[in-house]
This record gives sequence, structure tokens and C-alpha cells, in this order.
Amino acid sequence: MAEYELDCLGEACPIPLVKTENKLKELEIGDTLIVIIDHSCALKNVPEWARKHKHEVEVEEIGDGEYEIFIDKTA
Amino acid sequence: MKLSSNKHFQAWFKSPWTYVTGAILLSIFQIVTIASTGSSWGVTGPFATWGAWVYQAFGGSVDHWYFFSTESGQASLQRTFFTDPASVRNLGVIIGALLATLLASQFKFKKIKNMRQVAAAIVGGLLMGYGARIAFGCNIGALYSGIANLSVSGWVFALFMFAGAYVGSKLLVRYFMV
Amino acid sequence: MSEEAVRVITEEPSDASSRRSAQTSSRRSSRRSTRRSVERKPKQDQTIYGLGVLAIVIAVGIYLAAAVSAVMGIFWVTGIAFGFILRRTNFCFTASMRDPIMTGSTSLTKAVLIAFAITSIGFVAIQYGSATAGLPVPGMGFVVPISFATAAGAFLFGIGMVLAGGCASGTLMRIGEGYGMQLLSIVFFVFGSFWAARDMGWWTLNFISNGPVIHLPAVFGWGGAIFVQLLIIGLLYIAADKWETRKQEQES
Repeated sequence: MAEYELDCLGEACPIPLVKTENKLKELEIGDTLIVIIDHSCALKNVPEWARKHKHEVEVEEIGDGEYEIFIDKTA
Repeated sequence: MKLSSNKHFQAWFKSPWTYVTGAILLSIFQIVTIASTGSSWGVTGPFATWGAWVYQAFGGSVDHWYFFSTESGQASLQRTFFTDPASVRNLGVIIGALLATLLASQFKFKKIKNMRQVAAAIVGGLLMGYGARIAFGCNIGALYSGIANLSVSGWVFALFMFAGAYVGSKLLVRYFMV
Repeated sequence: MSEEAVRVITEEPSDASSRRSAQTSSRRSSRRSTRRSVERKPKQDQTIYGLGVLAIVIAVGIYLAAAVSAVMGIFWVTGIAFGFILRRTNFCFTASMRDPIMTGSTSLTKAVLIAFAITSIGFVAIQYGSATAGLPVPGMGFVVPISFATAAGAFLFGIGMVLAGGCASGTLMRIGEGYGMQLLSIVFFVFGSFWAARDMGWWTLNFISNGPVIHLPAVFGWGGAIFVQLLIIGLLYIAADKWETRKQEQES
């Protein structure tokens, strides 16, 4: 049940999503990946991708245009 | 009660809308555009003229250029930013996006992070600028409006744009990602 | 230290065909990352600035309509609308072509196709109405010659938009959002356009002037044209849907 943080602040499309995909592959089921983003694209496409792959997703707004996306690897 | 907490405000200005909603709304305004202005939406049309205005301001001349020798080319040089319709619309797009961002309290200056982004922006910008000019438009003018106006040029553009996107994706992963 | 209560955005309507999980926001409403390596700035309510910009937008619109022309006011308002819509929906043409390749997702691809379909229906009706009334047909300025320049230009544009992280509309949108990268991008976008304008004589002479202009109604008639167009769009939509399913299966 480890938690990992992936800082994607300032990254351009579609880097946050690609990094998320790659990082999530390394994690074990039950782990949580926290992706920190400030790109509005990623706010949409990262959760969408994660849900399509049956992971649990929650998004938290932590600042103006800044978000933390919590992804629990379930599959 | 704060305006931004109002449920209608949240639905209209804060919560994200779906892509399909976007498709429908963009279509509506494309149709508004063609019905009220006689032409469709385009973005890159005035860019070469903007370049000319700057060039001329520094003492350059485009008088012997084929592109500006046409009637419309000449006319565009005579205009200024706020008398050029396409320029005004482009500024509107920027401000419209700014408006939406502020109302959703999502505005943040995102500084360029590293030299990779600088290189990508420069190379990408140049390629888009050159490509859009010789192909008579960009993803809006050549692709979206071209296709919607039932021009086969739009479909040809789509095909090669996709090919370019493929190559661009490979380059992006190879050279512009850490 | 007092902090604003954390707002959790519960699952938004998804464009994908994924099942909606019944998540309740209360379950993890106090969820935070345990390792805060990034400094947090306090959240600001920017609504007031938004309203300020709205006031400016209206003022500019009125000014343009009065001082320049009513049509100029329309260009301004439609621009605002496009920018607003693009931003609210995060509509990205770049992603519609890049994501199928990089992530296997085609949700934007399908949305773009829907936009093509609906807009085509509107445009064909308007074109038809003008043509049959003997009036100049609107939008024909976008029916352009097909030549090597079209292919080369589109290809360059496709590469460029993926590298720059945004196409033409996307770049404008992101400037309005505050991205420095797109501000840099547009400068070179304009320069590239200007450079190409310099070469336009060569392109026109060697390629564009020989290129055919093909307007579907001229080939298939009005009804036939919209039928063929919607058929192509429909087939591409199904293909995009299948692509995503296949890519997902490959990954898992």
C-alpha cells in the first residue's frame, strides 16, 4: 500500500499522461500514485485513462489550476 | 452566498464539460460564423500579415512578394490589428479562454520549464506556421472548415496531418521527453 | 495555519465507454499526499477577475460594433465563444490525432468527428440555400486546390503541433490560460507563416496552380455530398472506437 508522488508541474501535453502510464506499470496492485499537475489537458486525460484501465481515481484541486490525481492501482 | 459556490455557476463555469458538448457547441458557432460573416472559422489566415506588419515596421518591404501582390494580400497590409476581422477573432479566442479560466479560478502562469520545451515550441511553431501557410490553413481553417465545407482538400489535409502527428509523436518521445 | 477546506472533484461525466463507479466524495475527503515535496500556494477565488475580463469583453464588443462595424463585433464575439468553448471542454485537435498513437485513446478523435458531422450538416444546408437562390456560396474560400503543398503543409503541421503541445486553436487557448510555452510557440508560428508567404510564389507556381479544387457537391450533388461525407465520418468513428478497444486490450 505504498504511495508514490509524480511531479508533473510545468510539463506540456501529453507528458503527464505518458509518465503516469509508465510509472503505474512499475507499481504493485494496491499502491497509490499521486500525480501532481497544472495542465488542464492532463486534468482530463489522466483520470480518463486511469478509469478506462479500471483504476480508482480521485482528483483534488490544490491550488489555482493545480491538481493532485490519486490513482489506486487495482488491476 | 458566494457566487462561485452557486450550483449553476459551478455547472456553467467550473465543472468541466464533455468533449461531445464541445463538438456540438463549436459546430453551433461555426454555423453562426458562416451565416453571419459569409465564411468559416480560420485561425492562421492573418499570421503572415502579422509578420509583414512587424517586418514593415522595421523597414522591410514585402512589395515584391507574390503572396502580398494579390488583391486580398494588398488589402490585408492596409489594415491594422483592430480593423482586421480574423485578427480580432483570434484575440477573442485568447480572451475567451482567459475568461473561462478565470471564472473557474484555474488561472496560473506556467513558465517554460526547460530548454527542451523551448526547442519544442520553436521547432513546432515554425513547422506549424510554414505548413499552415502552404496548405491554406491549420487544424481549423484547412481541416475543420475545409472538411465541413465539403472540400476534399480537408480530407487530404487530415490524412497527412495524421501522418505528421505520427512522426511528431515518435520525435517527441525520442527527443523531447526525459 | 488555516487552510481552505479541500474540495474534491467527484467523477465528472466521462466520454469513454467505461462504467461509472459510484464513488462518494465523503470517503476520502481529507485525502492528501503524505509526502509534500512541492510548495502549495493558497487557492485564490479568481471569479472577480473573471467578471472584470467579462466587462472588458463586453466593452470591446460594443466599441468594435460601433466604431468599426457590426461584423467586427461578430468576429469578436464568435472568437470569445470559440475560446470559451475550447477551454471549458478542453477540446484539443492535436490530442485527437496524437492520443491514438501515444496513448491509444480516441475520445477526442470521436468528438472531432462529431464536430465535423454536425458542422457539415449546417454548412451544406447554408451552401445549398445560397446556391439555389443564385447567391454567392459562403465558405467557398475554404475549398482550396489539392496539391503536393496540401500534403506537405499538413504533414509539417502535424509534426509541429505535437512537438509544440498544441495546434493553432490550442495555442491560442493555452495563451489565454497562461502557458509561457505557447506564447513562445506562436511567435515562431507567425514567423513560419511569414517565411512561407515569402515562398508562396514558388509553391503556387510549381504545385498549387496545378491542383484540382474538388467540392463534393460538384461531384455527388448536394444530397449525395452530405451522404458521402457523413458515411466517411461514420466509418472513421467506428474505426476510432475499434482502435481504442484494441489498444486497451493490447495493454492489459
